[in-house]
Amino acid sequence: MDILVIMCLGILIGNRFFPEKYKTINEKLQLACTLILIFSMGRMLGSRENFFEELLSLGFTSFLFFAIPSIFSVILVFIFSERYMVRKKDRKLFKKQSESLDTIEAGEAGTVTTEEA
Amino acid sequence: MVKLTLLALILGIIYGLMDINIGLIDLFSSHTDAVLYILMFSVGISVGLNRGIVQKIKKYHFKIFIIPICIMLASFLGGIVCGMLSGLPLSHAAAVASGMGWYSLAGATLTKLVGAELGSIAFLSNLMREIFSFFIIPFIASKFNYYTCIAPAGATSEDTTLPMMMRYTNEETVVISVLNGMICSAFVPVMISFCLEVL
Repeated sequence: MDILVIMCLGILIGNRFFPEKYKTINEKLQLACTLILIFSMGRMLGSRENFFEELLSLGFTSFLFFAIPSIFSVILVFIFSERYMVRKKDRKLFKKQSESLDTIEAGEAGTVTTEEA
Repeated sequence: MVKLTLLALILGIIYGLMDINIGLIDLFSSHTDAVLYILMFSVGISVGLNRGIVQKIKKYHFKIFIIPICIMLASFLGGIVCGMLSGLPLSHAAAVASGMGWYSLAGATLTKLVGAELGSIAFLSNLMREIFSFFIIPFIASKFNYYTCIAPAGATSEDTTLPMMMRYTNEETVVISVLNGMICSAFVPVMISFCLEVL
């Protein structure tokens, strides 16, 4: 719940007071926070006792339990979102953006946002 | 972004294995709650900068619940299929998959309620779900639709995987992603209990 309150506060500030010119700095801050969180996750795994032994002995079963529910989720959400949520104009826009993204990625082999595309 | 993510994960694992303490690194990596709050605040600013987002979200009405319902149902069914394939009791298998990426809670709960082995499977599989989501989201964003990016993230779509949504989808999807994460997270303990006690 506290996460939602903090996010709402951010939305309010972004909507009313935050200068547009600092948008890039804000994006860089998000990237830095994400990398710290992932680094911390890695640190937690590395320092966890018997982590690699567990991974070796239960790795395949765990992979199965990750892959199948994830694939099912992707399929079901895709079907229902296409049917009930994606609007016609969004579909056209998405197609255009995906094509541009593919072209740019093939050309530059770099990461590009869909917005930039 | 994906390469940086992978690099951060590997460096984190190496740092954890080395069992050393470097002041600044420890300061950041042991205050993940604060980092998460800063991240959420920053994401809120990005969403707020996009004028008219609230009106767009309002248009969805009850449709906003489609994604979390699909994720919960698919995770549950996926768990049942995994149980059939692995030979684990279906109730245990469904409980593992009901973690929906929340590895710490699913791992700890199932260790306590069932045993260390199932707890480890829950921990690892949900951890994999979170980690692989980082790498799958860009692919899904370009080949499926933006809403589908929320699917692999499950309960983590409100925090750790959110920046990937931010980068590869749009503000509208980010807000739906946060709501989805909250709903899924609220239902993780409920679903685990349901699977263990009712199934």
